[in-house]
Amino acid sequence: MKRKLTATITAAALALTMLTGCGNSGNAPQETNEPAAQQETTQDTASEETEAPAAPAQDGEAKTITVWAWDDNFNVAVMKEAARVYGETHPEANVNVDVVSLSKEDVYVKLQTALAGGGNGLPDIVLLEDYVSGKYLNTFPGSFADLTDKFDYSQYLSFKVDAVSQDGKTYALPFDTGATALYYRLDLIEQAGYTEEDMQDLTWDEFIEIGKDVTEKTGVQMIVEIANNKTTLVRAMMQSCGLWYFDKDGNINIKNNEALKASFDIILKMKEAGILYEAESTEGRAGALNNGTVASVVNAPWFISSIRQAEDQKGLWRAARIPRISTLDSSINASNVGGSSWYVLENSPVKDEAIAFLQGVWEGNTDFYDTIMRNQGAMGSYIPAYDTGVYEEEDEFFGGQKLNGLFAEVLPDVIPVNYGGYVAEANDAITTALANLFEGKVSIDEALEQAEAQLANQLGR
Amino acid sequence: MSKEKKIRLFKNILLHLFLLAAVLISVFPFYWMLSGATNSSVDITGGNMWFGKNLKENWTQLQNTANVFLVCWNTIKTTLLYTFLSILICAMAGYGFEKYRSKGKNVVYAMFLLSMMIPFSAQMIPLFKMASKANMLDSHTAIILPTIAMPFLVFFFRQSFQSYPTELIEAARVDGAGEFRIFFHLVMLPMKSTFAAAAIYAFMKQWNNYLWPLIVIQSNEKKTFTLLLSSLASAYYVDYGQLMLAIVLATLPIIIVFLTMQKQFVEGIVGSSK
Amino acid sequence: MKRHKKTGPNYNRYGWAFIAMAFLLYLLFTIYPAVESLALAFQSMEGGKYTFVGLKNFKRMFGDAVFLQSLKNTFLYMVIQVPIMLMLALILAVLLNSRFLKWKGFFRTSIFLPCVTSLVAYSILFKMMFSLDGIINQVLMRLGILEQPFQFLQNSTWARAVIIIAMLWRWTGYNVIFYLSALQNIPKETFEAAKVDGANAAQTLFRVTIPQLKPIVLLTAIMSTNGTLQLFDETMNITQGGPANSTLTVSHYIYNQSFVYAPNFGYASAISYMVVFLMIILAIIQFSVAGKEG
Repeated sequence: MKRKLTATITAAALALTMLTGCGNSGNAPQETNEPAAQQETTQDTASEETEAPAAPAQDGEAKTITVWAWDDNFNVAVMKEAARVYGETHPEANVNVDVVSLSKEDVYVKLQTALAGGGNGLPDIVLLEDYVSGKYLNTFPGSFADLTDKFDYSQYLSFKVDAVSQDGKTYALPFDTGATALYYRLDLIEQAGYTEEDMQDLTWDEFIEIGKDVTEKTGVQMIVEIANNKTTLVRAMMQSCGLWYFDKDGNINIKNNEALKASFDIILKMKEAGILYEAESTEGRAGALNNGTVASVVNAPWFISSIRQAEDQKGLWRAARIPRISTLDSSINASNVGGSSWYVLENSPVKDEAIAFLQGVWEGNTDFYDTIMRNQGAMGSYIPAYDTGVYEEEDEFFGGQKLNGLFAEVLPDVIPVNYGGYVAEANDAITTALANLFEGKVSIDEALEQAEAQLANQLGR
Repeated sequence: MSKEKKIRLFKNILLHLFLLAAVLISVFPFYWMLSGATNSSVDITGGNMWFGKNLKENWTQLQNTANVFLVCWNTIKTTLLYTFLSILICAMAGYGFEKYRSKGKNVVYAMFLLSMMIPFSAQMIPLFKMASKANMLDSHTAIILPTIAMPFLVFFFRQSFQSYPTELIEAARVDGAGEFRIFFHLVMLPMKSTFAAAAIYAFMKQWNNYLWPLIVIQSNEKKTFTLLLSSLASAYYVDYGQLMLAIVLATLPIIIVFLTMQKQFVEGIVGSSK
Repeated sequence: MKRHKKTGPNYNRYGWAFIAMAFLLYLLFTIYPAVESLALAFQSMEGGKYTFVGLKNFKRMFGDAVFLQSLKNTFLYMVIQVPIMLMLALILAVLLNSRFLKWKGFFRTSIFLPCVTSLVAYSILFKMMFSLDGIINQVLMRLGILEQPFQFLQNSTWARAVIIIAMLWRWTGYNVIFYLSALQNIPKETFEAAKVDGANAAQTLFRVTIPQLKPIVLLTAIMSTNGTLQLFDETMNITQGGPANSTLTVSHYIYNQSFVYAPNFGYASAISYMVVFLMIILAIIQFSVAGKEG
């Protein structure tokens, strides 16, 4: 018995020595990233139109540009495609682009730790939501490269450029937009006696009326929102009026925010009318849409990939401009939720290469924008790309509707607002307020007052 | 059958039924995880409980997203190294505290216990600074090193060594054995079950370690399973089939280790109480 | 000079040698960061630079409704979940230790199994199970208990209950391991003596088993209290702290303050040390309660 144990320990120790021994040598070859090889595995559709690129001449040491992003099916895939295109069109640049996929929360955790910890361990390019832009630029001044002169920003959507600018300087390359649409099930709407025509340019009050009929006649609830985070609707409604949690100067604007008040009122009405399906989570939301328990959703272009999962619903879906708030004249049938941009780190050893990479692909190459729109539903912010064929394409899942064309139509109308950077804090305060409102503990005014107080405390104001 | 026997039988059935219910509750999520790995995302969110036909597709998707074998290797490597080093170092410390008691050591020991209570998030920024200064970012060493001296394991070993008779140590000293020789040759062997328990603990802790690896690991090539899981789980569109398969792959090795170690663990206990 | 055989070598020094490695690593990777973060607790970051703000961070806590709510939630988990879990674990351990039990290995393994799952993985599973069209709702409706699906995660009471259920699932088996190993170290004669004295099962449990297990019960109680105060992954992944912060824990709030909101590491550190302080007090209480009973 004892001998057996000694033998086991010796074996374990030996195995460990081997582990550590080959840890170094074994990993070495994998550390150099072949961008071409990496792309081939992730891009199956993208490479159809172009021949597989010849491996770029690798004279001398190739420099690696590390990118942090957070969605394998979306912005990670897009950046990998950008890397592939860059290798093809700029073989002389001799760089590898390593796109590290994290969760969005994890990007922020790592970024904040590294920035607070003195600046080592940062990537060269990082994707940030426009909602947090102001927070990072304020909290860590000088950490992000000033790109004002590096891009022709007149070629990009102005509300996107505004979102990543501060004090007259622009710090990021605008990436995707959250042009908001109302996606709905035409078959269910028709069962309730309405047509595609009836869904155009609605007010929320009209929407609720239709919803009541749909719910009554089909037993399906009209609209879905995530229970613990009802802010997608709130944000969409708010920005449709050109208002936000913060005013132009960055002051908290909740208590006296007419748009917020109206959106709380609308959401409460939806709940009372029994047409609001409150999903527990993002997966619950996707599940409810996919298995047909809900008839519509308001969200950004990237959300389509979730809808598309239910293949049996092909042809049943349509998209329309979102409803507006009838009680406010400023409200229009267009808004934006989310959206993100690429930042270059100021102290990156390959700062110039990283900027050149962004310039080389993201400015001027409309084919690239076509590809990512088609494959990832990533609607860029580069205006010249909106004239290309992809926006004329008909989408069979949406019954042959020109879906991308709708987004391109909505975008120019979106009213820019100052996101103020502290959207996470504001969302939490609003979520709490809405939950209290739903449980009947407070009135709308009280809920908003509480939210303003919580946010003010959170921001130390 | 006598009345007493009947009662005994009834009690036995009750005992088994109760435990069976507990087992069902315990095991059900594992079943679901397995069936989920064979289903498509839509089927999973739709509440399908049975096995589906999507396993191959899920595997292809997962392979496209990440180099699963490399991730697996990274996790196994860091976990085994960590387990070995931490139980060795903590066992020595526990032994030192227990069998060579002194006032100074008790103070140090109390410090160890106190620090169990500092949330890790409070130490993270300074730790990150250290790793960065030592040029250890993006290395597996950086994952392992900071948590090797685990206060809980030190505590656990100290408690366990209490039951080891000091007379045996003294007898060995009389025989002329050195202190380290006594520890490695005499004390460690009968404490097999203690080491097995500690190893399971350390193994699980490192296998499921999340926040710290997240902070120090920078490149895809060094990623461990928990990091892969969390990036899979947070996409705009989550492919649940792929995620479930990843969860299964991340959980299987630890179940295997647990099952094999547990046998030894239970054997050790039974053996020592005979 | 001749040495006296009885004094022998300096054992104290050998003791330190055994401890040295762990102590060194510990000083470097626990004490030093802890001290540095304690210093952070008295600072606040503005415009990328830390400035000394005295006790401001500590004062802020008392006026911070969200923090107070998170503290309340955490205590609620502690008061409800920890005793239920430990009691359940003890019962399971006693049953698993029964000499009448067949297929012991099977039962033990199955009950231990949940504790190997990663926190991220099991949280995702539980969230899905308790969702509107999840398995729990389906079963309850089939049994006729519910007429329509219930939104567990949107009702503040039930959301907390789900967190507690999830934790019970994950951690009960873990504690069973400790109890079972301790039970097997109790000499069989003790039980036989109790039986001779005519004690029934419950009496044996409370008068013989539990007193014998006191050290291990204390250990698991402290570990669980500690774990609850650091509870984070479950609330983060199952409810994200909602609805209306009703499941938010202190650790989750620390995380939010550090990484979700504008980074406020100073305030986060201050809260961390408040947690340390609370844990010390709780540990002292637990030790003294255990001491009195003995």
